[in-house]
Amino acid sequence: MASRIYEWFDSRLKLKSVERTLLDEPIPGGASWVYVFGSATLFLFVLQAVTGMFLAIYYAPTPDHAYDSVRFIETQVTFGWFVRGLHHWGASGMVVAIGLHMLQVFVYGAYKPPRELMWMVGVVLFLIVMGFAFTGYLLPWDQTAYWATQVGINMTGTVPLIGDFLVRVLRAGETLGALTLSRFFAVHVLFLPALIVIGIMVHMFILRRVGPAGPWTGGVERRQRAVQSQAPPAQAVPQSGERRVRISETFYPRQVYMDAVVMLGVFLVIAAMAIFVPLPLTDKADPSDTSFVPVPEWYFLFYYELLKYVHGPLEPVATWILPLLVVLGMLFWPFIDRRKSRSPASRPIGMALGALFLLVVFTLLGISVKNLYAVKRTDPAVAHGKAIVGRFGCTGCHRIHGEGGAVGPDLSFVGDSRPEREWHLRHFRDPQSVSPGSIMPKFPLTEPELNDLTSYMLSLRRGT
Amino acid sequence: MAADDPELHEGLVTPIGTRRTFFQWVIAAAAGLIGVGLAGPLASYVVSPALKRREQPWVEVGTVGDLKVGEPTQLDYVQTVRDGWMENRLHKAVWATKQADGQVTVFSPMCPHLGCGYHWDGGEHKFKCPCHGSVYAPDGKVLGGPAPRHLDVLPSKIENGQLFVIYKEFKAGLSTAVEL
Repeated sequence: MASRIYEWFDSRLKLKSVERTLLDEPIPGGASWVYVFGSATLFLFVLQAVTGMFLAIYYAPTPDHAYDSVRFIETQVTFGWFVRGLHHWGASGMVVAIGLHMLQVFVYGAYKPPRELMWMVGVVLFLIVMGFAFTGYLLPWDQTAYWATQVGINMTGTVPLIGDFLVRVLRAGETLGALTLSRFFAVHVLFLPALIVIGIMVHMFILRRVGPAGPWTGGVERRQRAVQSQAPPAQAVPQSGERRVRISETFYPRQVYMDAVVMLGVFLVIAAMAIFVPLPLTDKADPSDTSFVPVPEWYFLFYYELLKYVHGPLEPVATWILPLLVVLGMLFWPFIDRRKSRSPASRPIGMALGALFLLVVFTLLGISVKNLYAVKRTDPAVAHGKAIVGRFGCTGCHRIHGEGGAVGPDLSFVGDSRPEREWHLRHFRDPQSVSPGSIMPKFPLTEPELNDLTSYMLSLRRGT
Repeated sequence: MAADDPELHEGLVTPIGTRRTFFQWVIAAAAGLIGVGLAGPLASYVVSPALKRREQPWVEVGTVGDLKVGEPTQLDYVQTVRDGWMENRLHKAVWATKQADGQVTVFSPMCPHLGCGYHWDGGEHKFKCPCHGSVYAPDGKVLGGPAPRHLDVLPSKIENGQLFVIYKEFKAGLSTAVEL
């Protein structure tokens, strides 16, 4: 049945020749597990696109609703936590896959003529993915999103002459707010997807025009010898020089099989992370809470760490001169490294520079991760309790450090006057049970919320 | 490449036979697993809100002492309604009639014909729907017009002299009351 349908379409659309073009693409030197990273990246892109479309079904890109809609997805929608988890970890996975893909292309010297354009388009695709990461980070509109984006935008302010202007354009005004969120959303779900689809098409078009690079020559000869030793005499490959180097394997089925196995592996890892690694939302973005210490995503951490070492007049070096040089260096690398040979052994300077770059990035990342665990930060329970006070409008009646109403007692130092945890817990469950005649209503608090709110109350003390 | 890779042309080889079949099976299995792993969760993700029924709470709508026996009264109240991730405060109104024995009957404010809001005609002592002319007795029975059923009665209870109802909506145009 399926084959008859296929015949029907083929007789009209000439599918068989398309099929041959797509599946019989020659892989020089044969299929290899080393070539799977591009396909893995493409798979993750499709996963991001699909999960992103589904997230958009419930997401609302306004400061009033963004956070609540993400919470709704996370807690109310069936499998909402899973779809959001896939999208979150898929983003990290994409950065890893691109990194490995670029590393493979770099080590194999596959950016050399005639593949310079494919490398350059690849670098542009990498920058677009970074753009996705930056714009997507703001969308949940929680504290982390808000303050990390605040820092990211401010960094562009150090660019000379146009820095202030750029900052205003990114924010769509003086402050990070409704207009910023809606433009980040539009860029994340409309502009960048259009750009990246065009970029991927160009990348693939160039790949099909120039073909995959295959191993550097030494590798081909080694593989060649392996093939010849296994091949029965009837299928033995002629050993004349030119012909010997040109032997290739069809893309389908062996390379497709390797790609498919890796894609399944990647999917299982991302799904396992979505299921087992909690991805908590921090509290809703509070522009007035300047005590919040934002931490960027892990793939920006090395850069975050770098900025700590550069101060004063040197700061622009780290915030934009160095990144610009690195990006330009990457983009034009095929024209900087002009040596013909693709073998890593024949280009020690390029390989050393690449290794140095990775060493610096991973050292900074390591230091940053180590520091993150060392820094003493606000107890998350206290921070969460503070957010609950905001959510339930407690300051409508109570005053805390000069802010709020005077209907109920001033809570600025309630941790001193009421230091017993148990009293607060009982009081929140039923105010009149410990404070007869109290007009404070019972609030619908969950157990964790009760505990966090109590932690915040106890933290309100003199001298803290 | 291995022993059973035949040469197609110009040094291009491809696996054949059982080896080729094995690769094809693995490719199909991987694609199938990913597809199933995504399709189930994504389908329920889209469909779930359509299948969730919200439990309507009891809402206090007024004091029984303020109602006159046999004289329907429109009771306005504000109810907090969850709408996805939002909480809306909606103004609603129901019709309540106190019986001689002190019990109260509460009617949904929508005409069962096509869902218009009806009103009480005190002079004729009837409920009348302005849209298509349905007429109902004070106890909700149809007296005339196109209405297919009597006025819809809402669950109600009295606690400490206060009247509580559960607000519901019913499908219009049917001869029996079917909750939306």
